[in-house]
Parts: sequence; C-alpha cells; structure tokens
Amino acid sequence: MNDHWTDRLSEYLDDELDGAERLELESHLATCEGCAATLAELRRVVGRAQALDDRGPARDLWPGIATRIGSSTDELASRRVRRRISFTVPQLVAASIALIAVSAGIARLASKQPARSASVPVPTSGSMGQPAMFEKADSSADIAVDQLRLALAEGQRTGRLSPTTVYKLEHSLAVIDSAIAEGRRALMLDPQSAYLNHHLADTMRHKLEFLREANRIATARS
Amino acid sequence: MLLVLVAVARLALAQDTDTTFAVRQGQRLDVSDFGGSVVIKSWRQNAVRVRATHGSRDYVTIATDGPTVRISASSRHGPAMVDYEILAPPWIPLSVSGTPSAEVTIEGTEAEVTVETVEGSIRVVGGRGNISLKSVEGEVTLEGANGHIELNTVDGSISVTDCSGDIAAETVDGEITLLGIESADVDASSVDGSIEYDGTIKDAGRYRFESHDGSVSVSIPEQANATISVATFSGDFDSSFPVTIKDKQKHRFTFTLGTGTARLELESFDGSINLRRPGQVHDQNDEE
Repeated sequence: MNDHWTDRLSEYLDDELDGAERLELESHLATCEGCAATLAELRRVVGRAQALDDRGPARDLWPGIATRIGSSTDELASRRVRRRISFTVPQLVAASIALIAVSAGIARLASKQPARSASVPVPTSGSMGQPAMFEKADSSADIAVDQLRLALAEGQRTGRLSPTTVYKLEHSLAVIDSAIAEGRRALMLDPQSAYLNHHLADTMRHKLEFLREANRIATARS
Repeated sequence: MLLVLVAVARLALAQDTDTTFAVRQGQRLDVSDFGGSVVIKSWRQNAVRVRATHGSRDYVTIATDGPTVRISASSRHGPAMVDYEILAPPWIPLSVSGTPSAEVTIEGTEAEVTVETVEGSIRVVGGRGNISLKSVEGEVTLEGANGHIELNTVDGSISVTDCSGDIAAETVDGEITLLGIESADVDASSVDGSIEYDGTIKDAGRYRFESHDGSVSVSIPEQANATISVATFSGDFDSSFPVTIKDKQKHRFTFTLGTGTARLELESFDGSINLRRPGQVHDQNDEE
C-alpha cells in the first residue's frame, strides 16, 4: 500500500482533496487492492457512525421556561446558538465505540497491512431486546472488535504480542462481554432501574476503553 | 530528533555493558526494553549508571533527545532483549516501556514515573507528581507514592500501599487493594475482581469503588462525614457497625454518617459490599 495515499484516504472520504489529487488517488485505487479495501471499510464504519441517532427532545421546553423567567426572543435565539449539545450515557458510549472503530481502522491503515481473517474467534455480546442505543453500541463495538482481531493477528505475526498476551486479551474481552450479558439480563428484569442502566453503560465504557487500549498496543510500533 | 549521542557501547564479544554518565536537573530518563527486566534504584549522585546484560551481538545506546536521556538496545535485526540495572538520582523523572515484555522494578524515586509494559509486572516504590503505571498482562504494585496516580492493567491485580494523592485504578480481571491511603479522590473499578480500600475518608472527598463480579470492602473511620451510596443487583451488604438507611430503592440505598460531606459510591453487581473499621478490611478478607 502506498504511504502517501494511506495518509490521505480520510481526506478523500471527506471530499477535501483538490481535483488533481482526487483523480490521482482514484487512479491509485484502481490498482491497489489494499487501499480500495480499506477505503470501503472506512466508508462502512463512517456510515454506521453517521447513522447514530442525534435526537432532539420530544418537546422543546425552553419557550415555556423563557416566558417564566422573562427572556426575550433574541436571548432565546442566542441561548439556542450557545446550547450545549448533550447525550445520554448510552448514546455517548455508542458514539465513542463508533469512534474507536474508526480509530482502529485508521490505525490499521497506518500499519500498512492488508485485511486478513483472525485465527481465533472472539466472543461478542449479542442483542437481547435492549434499547436501540445499546444495540447500536453493540454494532459499533463489533466493528471495533473485528479491528482488534486484525490487530492482534498482526501483533502476533510481527512478534510484538506473544500468544499468551493475545489469549489474555481475548479472555479479558470475554470477561467484559460476559459482564455486559449479565447486565442486559438484569436490565430485562428491571428496565427502569437507574443502577442497572448506569452499570450496563459503565461496563460498556470499560469495553470501549479496553478496545481503545488493546488496539493502541497491538498497532503501536516498537 | 536525536541531538547529541552521549555514548554507544557496542561490544562484539562481551555480554555486559557498564557505563556511567552525568545528568543535570531538568533532564528525564527514558528506558525502552524489548524483553527482560528493568531495575532502577536511586543513589545520591547526579549521574546515571547503566549496567546491562545482553547478547553478544546486541548493543546499548544512550542518547539525549532534548531534555530526555534515552536508553535502548538494538541488534542487527531490531530491538534487543536486555536486563538492565540502573542507578539514578531520585530527582530524575523516569519513563520505562517494556514491549512486548519487561519486568519493571523502580525503588527510591522522588520524581514522576511512567511505566508501560505489555507483558510483565510493575513494582514501584516512591514517586511524586504524575505517576502512571500500565500493564496488559501483569501485576501493578505501588508503594509510598504521592501525587496524581493512575494505575491500569488488563489481566492482573493492582496493589497500592501507603500512598497519598488522587488515585485511579482500573483492571478487567484482577483484584484491587488500596491500603494506607490518604486521599480525597479515589476511583477503583474491576470487572472481575474484588476491591479493598483502607484509608482516609476526607470531608468533601469523592470515593468510587465498583466491581461487576467481586466484593467491595471499604473502611470507614468512626468520625467520617460521608454520604454513602450502595448499589448491587444480586450481592449482599454487610457492615461491622450500625447504619441507618434513609433512602432505599430496589437495587440501591444511601445513608449518611456525620455531616455527610464526603461522597462514597460502592457498587457490585454480583458481589458483597462490606463496610469495616480501619484495619479490619484486609483482615476480614484474609479470613474468607
């Protein structure tokens, strides 16, 4: 894979290349299977990340509040411009995991290795009728886990990671997934529990931090 | 960029390097090892002594890069496995990386410490300021440190003894033991391991201990002013002293001791949560 174009695939995706560069990259893509495959993979990841919901509130409460505290329309507009965008914890987890997946894809781009299958399957948590946001987090996490598999296989191939380390990482991922599965089962029994919702989100945060760290270690250069 | 090459010890036949060089305030020491052990101890000299045991075709490089003195080893085919014994002044900040493996021991430092290994345990005695110890597959042990402390491992336990400052400890599959701690900000979490805390509960402090599948045992001094939140799905709660629960939900309850200014969050999805008096935490778990 070409180093120069590897670094510029995301610019291409974002339509930030000028016309000549774009043509040159497209010409390169026609002859480089590696770049073409990774670009397709990045497109899928970005597509999924973009598909994450950014829902507004079901009802805008501000007009009523503004009336009661005497804010003017201008102030209202100004406040709306400055409005802090906030997400629920599960939304943040979902978005973060999606970003991890993108980062992992970019890290693999940087490692200049073509995609290959992992030799050892890694268990992932499945959908159990949980809220859509958790399912989206799952979907994004699956991408990140796939990237981790590739990175682990590559780390093992280069000797950077020993088979024992790879086994321990996979075991730890299984431990987190088992905890997530237990959290989901508990949440099905008591969907309104603030503790269980928070605990599940927190365990998923563990997973995303684990994936981030494991990917970093597996793709870093000595 | 490497500015000045201080020393290159290349020994074609011998298997040891032993060299000493001067360092000055403001410099820091960075050691990289590809496998082996790194032992750094303090001495009262403004100099660093490096003794390294390595293969006959390996060579140790000591170079300065701005304020950083870098120690690494190479062979014709890339990084080399070396056993280091290093003497350094206690004031020099230390950074050690062991990839893919290294056993790291640091004793007597009075400066910042950063250690990162993939495979291998980390043991640090001392340290001031920012202290960051990370391992993937190995135990992390810290004693007598003071500062902003961050400890991470994936598959291994974490042990912190007689330390002060902000402490964050996280592991996936291992126990976390925090004993003799003086802190107003402690955050410890394990997915599959128990957590013990025996230390101060300071007014207005924040303490969070969370495990999915392990017990959480915390010491509460008699004079503590704390609002304590306990949450569990299928675990038990046990206290060695009486408490009056004021707010109870299905999986969570809270109670207040004294003025309640400190906040404690104790959570274990599937393990017991135990409150003890100082000195009882570790004893109680030893008996189990």
